[in-house]
Amino acid sequence: MTAEVLVELDQESLGYGDQVIIRDVSLSLHAGERVALLGESGVGKSTLLAALRQRLGQQAAWCPQHHGLVGPLSVYLNIYMGRLDQHSALVNLWNLARPLPRAWQEIAELCGPLGLEGMMKRSVSRLSGGQRQRVAIGRALHQQRDIFLGDEPVASVDPHQALGLLEMIDQRHRGSIIALHQRELALTHFDRVWGLADGRLVLDAPSNRLSLADLDALYPSAVASLPESTTVQAQEKSATPEGSLRCHRGRS
Amino acid sequence: MSLKYGDRYPGLLRGTGIGARLARHSLTLLAITLLLMPLADLHVLSRDPWAELGRIAQGLLMPHFGSIDAPFKALGLTVSVALWGTLAGVVLGFPLALLFSRSRLVRAGCAFVRAIHELFWALLFLQIFGLSALTALAALAIPYAGIFAKVYAEILESTPSAADDALPQGTGRLSRFLYCELPLAFGQLAAYTRYRFECGLRASVLLGFVGLPTLGFQLESAFREGRYFEAGAVMWLFYALIASLPWWAHRRLLLPLTLGSLLLLGPWPQIDGALLWRFLSTDIWPAPLLSGDLPGLVAWARDIPELLPAIGNTLLLGLLGTAGSLVIAMLLWPLASRHFGNRLTRAAGSGLLVFLRSTPELMLAFVFLLLLGPSLLPAWLALALHNGALIAFLVARHADSLEPGMPDLPASGRLAYELLPRVYPGLLALLYYRAEVILRESAILGMLGVATLGYVIDDYFQTLMFDVAFALLLITACLNVLVDALARRLRPRDVTHDDPCLRQEQLSYPR
Repeated sequence: MTAEVLVELDQESLGYGDQVIIRDVSLSLHAGERVALLGESGVGKSTLLAALRQRLGQQAAWCPQHHGLVGPLSVYLNIYMGRLDQHSALVNLWNLARPLPRAWQEIAELCGPLGLEGMMKRSVSRLSGGQRQRVAIGRALHQQRDIFLGDEPVASVDPHQALGLLEMIDQRHRGSIIALHQRELALTHFDRVWGLADGRLVLDAPSNRLSLADLDALYPSAVASLPESTTVQAQEKSATPEGSLRCHRGRS
Repeated sequence: MSLKYGDRYPGLLRGTGIGARLARHSLTLLAITLLLMPLADLHVLSRDPWAELGRIAQGLLMPHFGSIDAPFKALGLTVSVALWGTLAGVVLGFPLALLFSRSRLVRAGCAFVRAIHELFWALLFLQIFGLSALTALAALAIPYAGIFAKVYAEILESTPSAADDALPQGTGRLSRFLYCELPLAFGQLAAYTRYRFECGLRASVLLGFVGLPTLGFQLESAFREGRYFEAGAVMWLFYALIASLPWWAHRRLLLPLTLGSLLLLGPWPQIDGALLWRFLSTDIWPAPLLSGDLPGLVAWARDIPELLPAIGNTLLLGLLGTAGSLVIAMLLWPLASRHFGNRLTRAAGSGLLVFLRSTPELMLAFVFLLLLGPSLLPAWLALALHNGALIAFLVARHADSLEPGMPDLPASGRLAYELLPRVYPGLLALLYYRAEVILRESAILGMLGVATLGYVIDDYFQTLMFDVAFALLLITACLNVLVDALARRLRPRDVTHDDPCLRQEQLSYPR
């Protein structure tokens, strides 16, 4: 309850230009909190994350949807790009020709736990989907920021790897907001769930008070036959006032 | 029972669908062409064209390689000029590409230098640098810089932005470019540069027609003097050079080739600064303009005699060439498509198309001119055959990528119902892309004796009236820019740029 608020939105509407995609959203992320962002495709998860990224600026590490990697460049260079802003253009240019020894060392240490060892010189276009995913996460980790923002960063890896990657993300950040589709993972691995539907934040609750059925309500086209579920999660929301029952993570 | 308005029986060529619209469009183009055709001089002026054609064919079939004077020197110079001309074009064009979308001045300048044919640039530089390597390089590099600026800018603009968006905020512009845009666009940039080099090779051969000692020089003199066995040998040499391109212009050989060919370039001119300055500041401008005498300028302009007929002929030939290309492309593309004929006809069809599109228009026109005499007819044939074959080749490849929904239709049904509706919009779009090139070629064909702008320009350069020649060059460029704008408006808009056929023509050409 007393944990520091890292980022906060208060009754804000988000979108691009004149087009509003999410209306009247209020939320806050506290230090040490892991948040899962759920909702159907196209509901505005990416819009919310982009707005938070904008808000957080230099505090946030960013792992975009579909990776946003540069195929022809090597794994090393793609991960190095996480800190492109911290070097001068001349240094960056030199690094293209010959890797900076310190950056190479740091990235090699990152590649080990990511399962990318021995691949640093390979171009990303020759990697599998899962490997690219890990490169994209590696690039975000290399940024060494406080807060991790990920748009489906574990969408194309198997559940076992997903757990390992989320673990790595947790260890290196004070808070994280991660959009994903795996509902089970949202309940088991995250402290809090934000759910978007119909252009609104309809769910904001600690994960230990939620069940899979509650999360199903976020996917109305899949469970159109269960109209009462919205009321259930509305009750849930009113029963858990903002940030009151934060679950501690028990990091050892 | 009355039909609803939308289902009423349509008249001939009525309807609002894209097919009916394009059909009306094309038929209008052909009708205008037929209407204006009587204005063109299409006479056969030579006495016995068939016998001459027979002798040329004989020369081609039985080439005499021993009679070419120093073939390797000419080959070497041709390749060196193409390589270094293209390279200089890249060096000049690349920085312009970065400014292209931001500066109207850069866009206008690039459109202007693009609009003047390589050979016209060569004629201009010939007056300054003489018959030297510098003339050849500048003639290629300057128009290519304009082309590279435009195409590179388009390629860079169309790179996906996802990687760029993922970069940390505050990353510098140069770093963004080096790490995202450049690597993502590199494949396309390289492919286009390669295609342009191939064009440069053809242009380099053609520079022989204005006297530079490349392959074209020997070709021209052999043809002109009726030594067809030698001309045939040079032609074969040229085709071998083009056909073996993938082997000798391999990526790994490029650096040694570039450095080695530097030694083959020459001769280098003595540059007289004062003379150069006088040419640029005085010689190419009308004297009344420099002295601020406006009535004098009007009188000066009135003294250019053959101007209007030359402009008329150029535009007419451009129109004839465009319509002719449409007809030729429609006739030829099924020959090379996998949907028609048997293996033998397809091989023959593809062979014909490759032959016609690898032979530059100017070379074709030159041969036809020998056969038919200097009317618009040989120029028209050359333009229609070359460009028609080029379009037909791309359309056939597009058609080959399509799978007919009803494979058992007879050939005519397959053509009319399955394939033509799908490939025709692309064909027409390609035609309008080519229209600008066709007009540029129409002007340049005058140098061979056809009564278009090139004839007049060449004439004034030879009589050292640089002011008139330069003014005519400007007029040619303006015509070209105008026609390009017109073609852009007429081009079917519903055709997406994702059309593989179009992208090839624009960017990577058949690799």
